[in-house]
Amino acid sequence: MRIDRIRLVVQALFFIFLIYGGILGFSIGNAVPTMACIYAEDRGGSCFLYPFQRFMSLPWSTLLAATIVPFLIYLGTFFLWGVVFGKAFCGWICPLGFLQDLLTKARHLLGIDGARFRWASRERFQWVKYALLALLILIPMGIGSSLAGLPKLSGDWAVPFCQICPGKPLLPLFSGDISHLIIDFSSPVKLAMSGLLMGLTGLFLVGGFVKRRWFCLYCPMAALLSLFDRIGLIGLKKKGDTCTRCGNCYRACPMEIREIADIRDRKHMVTQDCMLCMRCIEVCPENKALSATFLGFPVFTASADGFLKRHGGQPPLTQEDLPHDTDSNGS
Amino acid sequence: MIQIQTDRDQKLTRRLKLHLAMSVREIFDAIALEQNRPVAMRPFDALFMNFAEAPDDILPAKPVKKVGLYCMTVPEEIVYAAGALPVRLCAGSADAAEAGEALFPDVSCPMVKSAAGFTRTGALPFYRQCDLVVIPATCDWKVKLGDILSRHVPVLMLNVPKHKTTETARLFWYDEIRRLCRALEKLTQTRITRARLRASISLIHAAQAEFRRFQDLRADDLCLISGRDAAEVANAWFYMDAASWTGHVRRLNEELHKRKQSGLGVIPKSAPRVLLTGSPVIFPNWKIPSLIENSGGALVCDELCSSGRLLWDMACVDEPLFDDMLDALADRSLMPCTCPVFTDANDRRVKLLRMIRDYRVEGVVHHVLKGCHPYDMELRPLEAELAAAGVSQLKIETDYSPEDTEPLRTRIEAFIETLKGRRLKSGGSF
Ligand code: SF4
Ligand code: SF4
Ligand code: SF4
Ligand code: SF4
Ligand code: SF4
Repeated sequence: MRIDRIRLVVQALFFIFLIYGGILGFSIGNAVPTMACIYAEDRGGSCFLYPFQRFMSLPWSTLLAATIVPFLIYLGTFFLWGVVFGKAFCGWICPLGFLQDLLTKARHLLGIDGARFRWASRERFQWVKYALLALLILIPMGIGSSLAGLPKLSGDWAVPFCQICPGKPLLPLFSGDISHLIIDFSSPVKLAMSGLLMGLTGLFLVGGFVKRRWFCLYCPMAALLSLFDRIGLIGLKKKGDTCTRCGNCYRACPMEIREIADIRDRKHMVTQDCMLCMRCIEVCPENKALSATFLGFPVFTASADGFLKRHGGQPPLTQEDLPHDTDSNGS
Repeated sequence: MIQIQTDRDQKLTRRLKLHLAMSVREIFDAIALEQNRPVAMRPFDALFMNFAEAPDDILPAKPVKKVGLYCMTVPEEIVYAAGALPVRLCAGSADAAEAGEALFPDVSCPMVKSAAGFTRTGALPFYRQCDLVVIPATCDWKVKLGDILSRHVPVLMLNVPKHKTTETARLFWYDEIRRLCRALEKLTQTRITRARLRASISLIHAAQAEFRRFQDLRADDLCLISGRDAAEVANAWFYMDAASWTGHVRRLNEELHKRKQSGLGVIPKSAPRVLLTGSPVIFPNWKIPSLIENSGGALVCDELCSSGRLLWDMACVDEPLFDDMLDALADRSLMPCTCPVFTDANDRRVKLLRMIRDYRVEGVVHHVLKGCHPYDMELRPLEAELAAAGVSQLKIETDYSPEDTEPLRTRIEAFIETLKGRRLKSGGSF
């Protein structure tokens, strides 16, 4: 069984749970570090970022006194989620991640070749997620208290990231709620932000279709989850002395992480954009070169046999058995 | 390409055919005396006997276009996908090298001389029957080989980026592979479709699966097959079509597996385990493997582009789409290739150290063909690094001619004795 197929099933189940779980009264809290959007009515758990931005917009005096206990519980929950699952949220749970993978799947079915980043462009954009993270902390702070003597920001700036997050218009659609697909003319700030959001949502759909996980490269949640890359219970390890640097893992990595193939002298491989999807392990043909670990114990390890099995199918026995039909090859 | 053969040429061709047949028979006469050889080697023997008895029957009799290849950097999957048969033309005949000598400077390697000798004379007909010969511009001799061969056969040169770790190198190579695709499509009038690519990748995967199984069997403590026979199996890949090769190797693997269970090896466990690396070892030049084993060594593995490396690296199908599969094939033929024409020698060092561990190798023999500069250049630093890791090594510089056999034998015997001494000292048993 191929990991990428298992993953799609797991993602679908989590998607259903996170989008519709609330109908049956399920909820796994509001500190879930994944894009389970707060605007989706029937959600079974909700995105960490919304309450986080709300907390950040409280005046210091309130945050550190009256709400300190709920705030710490909230952060602690987030921390536990992060340590146990870490980036696996992105690879296996996130509804927005799942939507992007569905777009990729659709592209495969249509037989359309995808695009890849140039190395330089990909590196150039890596800071974006950290900048968004910084802004989604600083802007709310500027609402609650005045920063560096500047005047306080207006309430229109509240939950700024949610105002531009593609999750907001897209995920409620699954509960039949189209109300977030609008441009809000109520104030210049709202107008700008909602206009931006509509643009970004379009980009999310187009980008996700042509390029695997296009949005994830800019996602501030990934930046947050990176805190747990080294301390998380789930790990991704490399054994450089069996790696041939064949590049299979890099080519198959949805996040186009070059280090996974090129680096040989480092053991720990959960890098800033890695989403623990394990795709690299299943396309690696060298025994033990890559493995996923839980609490340090290997749970899934690359092997030549596994590689061949997953590429399965009865191979044609003679050259004449090669198919003669013609299909589009995009060239 | 009609060639007017002069009397001298015809004489040269006749002589080459005769001498080639003699050296082939000599090899198989010696093999016939061996006991205990796996029966499943027969189809391979039959193939190579044809070099003497029926050169016209070496290639499978199939009404498809034949595409000659040099080196390992041309993905055979694409040739199959275009509906043609790939034939690896790298040659190992001393007699053919003599016939090709006049075309090259003295210092060039015997491999190119031999290949040019066969092409020039047509002593092995398939050298001239190829509908296209693809030569990747790897080492300096290959760069010029195309010019020489193109007088006799249509040649397609492929540009190979030598500093392969950069993005420009990859993208460049992806484009070269697409150029190859277009040339092959034109040749066979068959469109390389997504489905055909996918199927030919499976075809090669099946061969690679058997090849890996074969290598695993070679890693056994029992020496289940001689290194020379292993070279024979791998060399046969040059000329057989993928599916029949896979079938023959599958039967061989089954036999070796049975022998493993009944504890039947072909070389005593007392023989020190040797790894051979360096310039290619191609039929009928099995001089070095034979010498190692006749001197009491066991050649358990090799890191040669003519055998151990041949079918190791596997392409992964990530997106089952045309571009991605083509890139996968481009990657698999370039990225993991440990050929010393590439700037980075680290991959080869890591590979060797891994093989030394996996096959429990006791000594490494470096094979450098005279004039093979890439391997020669890489040797010194490599030797130093392996020495630092405590590996016993022997460097052999030779060509295809049997003249230096005796002095080589003396040196190899001395090396094997040293290895035995080392094993004794480290408390190993015989
Ligand atoms: S809009 Fe985005 S950031 Fe805000 S709650 Fe929804 S998914 Fe999370
Ligand atoms: S990086 Fe992608 S998968 Fe991870 S939270 Fe953001 S959108 Fe979801
Ligand atoms: S797929 Fe495996 S062998 Fe190939 S580069 Fe990646 S880790 Fe190394
Ligand atoms: S490095 Fe491996 S686990 Fe991480 S995103 Fe890439 S393919 Fe997935
Ligand atoms: S790599 Fe060496 S053996 Fe091969 S053609 Fe070049 S010089 Fe000759």
